[in-house]
Formats: sequence, structure tokens, C-alpha cells
Amino acid sequence: MIKRFFDWLKQPLGLIAVGIAVLTLFSIAAYGLYTTQQPPEQPIQFPHKTHVAFGIQCLYCHPGAARGPAAGIPTQAKCWGCHNQIVKTQTSLLLAPLKEAVESGTPIEWVPVAQVPDFVQFNHRAHIAAGQNCENCHGDMTKVNIAENPQVFNMGWCLDCHVKNAGEDHVKLVKLTDCGTCHY
Amino acid sequence: MIRPEEIKMSAEHVGKWGMVIDQDICTGCQACVAACAMENNISFVGEKDSGYGRSMHWIRIERFWEGEYPEVKMTPNQPMLCQQCNSATCEPVCPAFATVHSQAEQLNLQIYNRCVGTRYCGNNCPYQVRSFNWRDYERPEPLSNQLNPDVTVRRMGVMEKCTFCIQRIHKAQDKAKAEGREVVDGEFTTACAQACPASAITFGRVDDPESLVSQLAQRGHGLKHLEELGTLPNVTYFKGG
Ligand code: HEC
Ligand code: HEC
Ligand code: HEC
Ligand code: HEC
Ligand code: HEC
Repeated sequence: MIKRFFDWLKQPLGLIAVGIAVLTLFSIAAYGLYTTQQPPEQPIQFPHKTHVAFGIQCLYCHPGAARGPAAGIPTQAKCWGCHNQIVKTQTSLLLAPLKEAVESGTPIEWVPVAQVPDFVQFNHRAHIAAGQNCENCHGDMTKVNIAENPQVFNMGWCLDCHVKNAGEDHVKLVKLTDCGTCHY
Repeated sequence: MIRPEEIKMSAEHVGKWGMVIDQDICTGCQACVAACAMENNISFVGEKDSGYGRSMHWIRIERFWEGEYPEVKMTPNQPMLCQQCNSATCEPVCPAFATVHSQAEQLNLQIYNRCVGTRYCGNNCPYQVRSFNWRDYERPEPLSNQLNPDVTVRRMGVMEKCTFCIQRIHKAQDKAKAEGREVVDGEFTTACAQACPASAITFGRVDDPESLVSQLAQRGHGLKHLEELGTLPNVTYFKGG
């Protein structure tokens, strides 16, 4: 029975069937990978590109980055400071959810994209104080519309930069590569 | 890993963070135990699993009976936590290198994501202060709201133990760095020391002779538990002083 099946596979028709099966599997895998690379559906289609192009500083909307571990996402109060004076706010469909959030006072539930796992303790402050730019880790936000994560925040990526930054400074190298610096 | 012949030599080597516990003023109120569980997201295992000896604490109050009946006496309350040994017996036995010595902070670390749950470290600890997550214990609402975001929530199959509140150490260091200064002695302390109403627990730098812990530890009648095993613990106890 099994031998008959293999014989059939060796026929031209069988080869085509195998080809189709392989192609189908490949496209499913490719599509699966593609979906993981897409930014998630956000409550507001917030365009970083436009806002950063106006010259708004990253730290204006993400002030936590200079102060502590989390950069933070602005509340609608901050958006409204500008948007209640902008004519387009009243008409734009993209801004309707913002208007609604301000009127009802319910928080906007942004979907996080830049994240490390729970067992990693990251701290923005140390990096900003050491002169690291947002671009080094988050890519060029002047080009993105809806925030996506350009890199995988894996351990090798963290450590490569840490080793490079510590240079000859042994104490710093020990500190920046110590498991207890990031995992606890 | 340190071999026995090296122990004597490394005895001169002091750790970085240490603790002094005064058993004479400890009332055994368990405030430290509760504070520790709150700070470090320790699971509540419940009655049934506790019965199997699977309770989880990073610090516990020990008491022993002394003497023969009817002349039994109770020993003073003895808060027992990870002694953060300089030559720890738990470290060399881990097949996955999940329990490593922090070179930067001189602490025994438990890297939860590296741990595969062999429990060898726990069995090799003479102080029996490591606890194992036998299950994913539930945290029903409101309890889930008090999880500490600075501490990893451990999963089933992972060993855990006292970290000397390393998240507080990092926070204090980060704050000091932002203000361009060194961490001051007494600026922060561990959750157990902070909660202790009798101030029986003191935490700080043992490598700094000026710090309060060093001053207390030098008072003379201090005792380190199971010191004869060569573990070089960083916790000093005072009893009957
Ligand atoms: C006008 C305010 C504003 C400015 C200016 C701004 N952002 Fe944002 N940022 C947001 C909002 C709102 C979100 C959440 C929506 C989203 O994820 O798309 C966000 C999300 C992000 C995220 C993803 C966070 C996550 O996990 O969801 C990153 C990374 C980020 N911003 C980086 C930057 C950088 C770098 C700059 C400067 C070049 C910058 N932002 C400027 C408002 C702003
Ligand atoms: C510093 C002022 C400022 C802040 C703060 C600000 N915006 Fe804007 N935003 C603008 C301007 C200016 C435009 C462009 C309006 C135009 O195209 O006429 C704009 C455009 C937009 C658009 C695109 C509208 C469209 O129809 O094209 C969205 C969506 C938006 N903002 C959302 C937000 C959200 C959400 C926040 C809060 C996180 C925010 N903005 C904060 C100034 C601001
Ligand atoms: C050294 C790399 C690095 C630099 C530099 C950096 N970030 Fe991040 N950022 C991260 C990592 C890693 C995370 C994920 C943190 C987490 O999950 O706890 C993150 C998360 C974020 C988030 C979303 C979650 C949060 O923390 O609230 C925002 C927003 C953000 N960064 C903005 C910024 C801005 C703005 C700057 C520049 C001022 C910046 N980052 C600089 C690595 C970096
Ligand atoms: C682009 C380079 C770069 C990357 C990528 C990077 N770091 Fe850093 N990190 C630094 C520098 C520079 C410092 C500051 C060193 C100092 O204090 O002088 C630092 C410091 C830190 C500190 C504070 C150490 C202390 O002194 O207390 C932590 C924690 C940390 N990084 C975690 C991470 C984690 C987790 C990641 C990966 C998600 C990461 N870093 C990725 C450059 C980087
Ligand atoms: C600079 C910060 C940093 C240091 C230092 C560091 N790690 Fe990590 N580690 C990370 C980050 C970030 C991840 C998450 C990788 C990911 O999401 O793919 C990670 C992931 C891991 C994982 C994989 C867990 C999993 O389930 O995928 C293990 C195991 C691990 N680390 C062990 C260690 C050990 C052991 C040390 C000490 C020798 C160490 N790490 C030091 C940042 C660090």
C-alpha cells in the first residue's frame, strides 16, 4: 500500500501534487511570518511621521524615557492640547476616536509594540543619560506611520551594545553584562 | 566555584551587601515575611500544598525546642533568609547555570528564565531557603493588583529565593546616578528590614566600614550560621547579647 503510494508520487502527476503541497506550506509559513511583522491594530491610527516632522520632540510625548524605566505613552489630554486648536480635528475621521475619548474621559487603549519579556528589566533613563538616541533602538520614527518594532529586542542585541560601550572599562563591563543587571 | 583549600584565603574577601539580624529584639511577628511576599510577588500556595511542605517564603521565622521534656525551652526567633553566601553551595550544582554569582553586586542570583527546575540548588542549600514553584498558583482579583512590576512573576517549575531586594538596589543606584552621587548608607533598605517594627534587621554595604551594618557586625558577638561549612554567609546574627 505504502509502496504503491510512493510509486504514484514518482509519476509526473504525483510530482506536481508534491510541488503544490510544498508551495502551500511555504506560503502559509510566509503569511504567518508576515502577520507577526505587521503593526497591531491601534485604537487611533496615530502617524508618528507627521508629528515628528512638525519638530515635536520625542520626549514631549514620551517624557518618562529621560526620568525612569518606562517611556510612557501620552494621554489624550496631551493630544488635546494641540488638537482642540486644530480645525482638522473636528472633521478628520482618523481623529474621531480621540474626540470621543476626550469627551467621555475614557483612556485610549494603545496596543504595545516595543516590549521586552516580563523577565527582563529595562531602564530607559540609564540609556538616555549615557547619550543613546531613540533612533539607535527604535529606528527612524520620522519614517513610520503607526509604531512598529524594527528590531527584535533579544539578549545578544543588548549585550553587543553593552560590550561595545564598556570598552576597556572593566568595572562597567562587569556591571553591564551581569545577569543581575537585566534579570530579576 | 571555590574549592575548600581556597576558602580560608577568600574568607578575607567580603561581599558587597549584607545584613545584621538581632534575634534578641525580634518578636517573631512575621511582618517581614508578609512584606517580603508583597514586595517580591511570592505566590500564596494555599493550605493543601503547604501541607506537602511546598510553602513558598523567601524569609521565614524559625524556632526550635531546646532541652528534654519537661525542661524544654524555646530558642529565640530566628529570621532565616538566603545568606547570600560568598561561596555558595547552590551555585556549582546547577546544571543550567541558572544560579550564578553576580560579580557586580556580589549576590547569588537566580535567573528564572534560565532555570529548568532540577531543584538541585534547593537540595544543596544548607539553610533550606530556596522555594520551588510546584504549580502556577492563582492570584484572584484584588491580589493580582498588588504585583510589583519591578519583579518577574515566576512560573511553574522555577526555583526562587531571596534577592536582597535587588530591584531596590538597582532603583537606589539609578536614582543616585541620576543625581550624580553615590548611594548613601540607609538611603534604601530591603522590604523585610523596612517592615520590621522592632528594627531587628539592618541592611547595607558590608564592604564599607562606615556603614551601619559593618559597625553592628563588628560589635563582636555576632554569629554566622553554619559558618563551618565554608559558605561565607553575608548575614550576621546576634543572640543572647
Ligand atoms: C505627538 C506625540 C508623540 C511624539 C512627538 C512621539 N510619539 Fe511615539 N508614540 C506616541 C503615541 C500616541 C504612541 C502609541 C501609539 C502607537 O503605538 O502607534 C507612540 C508609540 C511609540 C512607540 C511604540 C511604543 C509601544 O510599545 O507601543 C515608540 C517606540 C515610540 N513611540 C517612539 C517615539 C520616538 C523615538 C519619537 C521621536 C522621534 C516619538 N515616539 C515621538 C506619541 C508620540
Ligand atoms: C504639538 C501638537 C500636537 C500634538 C501634541 C498632537 N498632535 Fe496630532 N497632529 C498635529 C498636527 C499639526 C496635525 C496635522 C493636522 C493637519 O494635517 O492639518 C496632526 C495630525 C494628527 C492625525 C492625523 C489626522 C488626519 O486626518 O490626517 C492624527 C490621527 C493625530 N494627529 C493624532 C494625535 C494623537 C492621538 C495625539 C496624542 C498622542 C496627537 N495627535 C498629539 C499636532 C499635534
Ligand atoms: C538602548 C535602547 C533604547 C533607547 C536608546 C530607547 N529605547 Fe525606548 N525602548 C527600548 C526597549 C528595550 C523597550 C521595551 C521596554 C519594556 O518592554 O519594558 C522600549 C520601549 C519604549 C516605549 C514603549 C513602552 C514604554 O516604555 O512606555 C516607548 C514609548 C519608547 N521606548 C520610547 C523611546 C523614546 C522616546 C526614546 C528616546 C528618548 C527611547 N525609547 C530610547 C529600548 C530603547
Ligand atoms: C545602543 C546601545 C545599547 C543597547 C542596544 C542596550 N543598551 Fe543598555 N546600556 C547602554 C549604555 C551606554 C548604558 C549606560 C552605561 C553607563 O551607565 O554608563 C546602558 C545601561 C543599561 C542598564 C543600567 C545599568 C546600570 O548601570 O545600572 C540596564 C539595566 C540596561 N542597560 C539594560 C539593557 C537591556 C535590557 C537592553 C536590551 C533590551 C539594553 N540595555 C540594550 C547601551 C545599550
Ligand atoms: C543587557 C541585559 C541582559 C543581560 C546582562 C543578560 N540578559 Fe538574558 N535576556 C535579555 C533579554 C532582553 C532577553 C529577552 C530575549 C528575547 O525576548 O528574545 C533575555 C533572555 C534570556 C534568556 C532566554 C529566555 C527565554 O525564555 O527566551 C535566558 C536563558 C537568559 N536571558 C539568561 C541570561 C543569563 C544566564 C545571563 C547572565 C550571564 C543574562 N541572561 C544576562 C537581557 C539580558
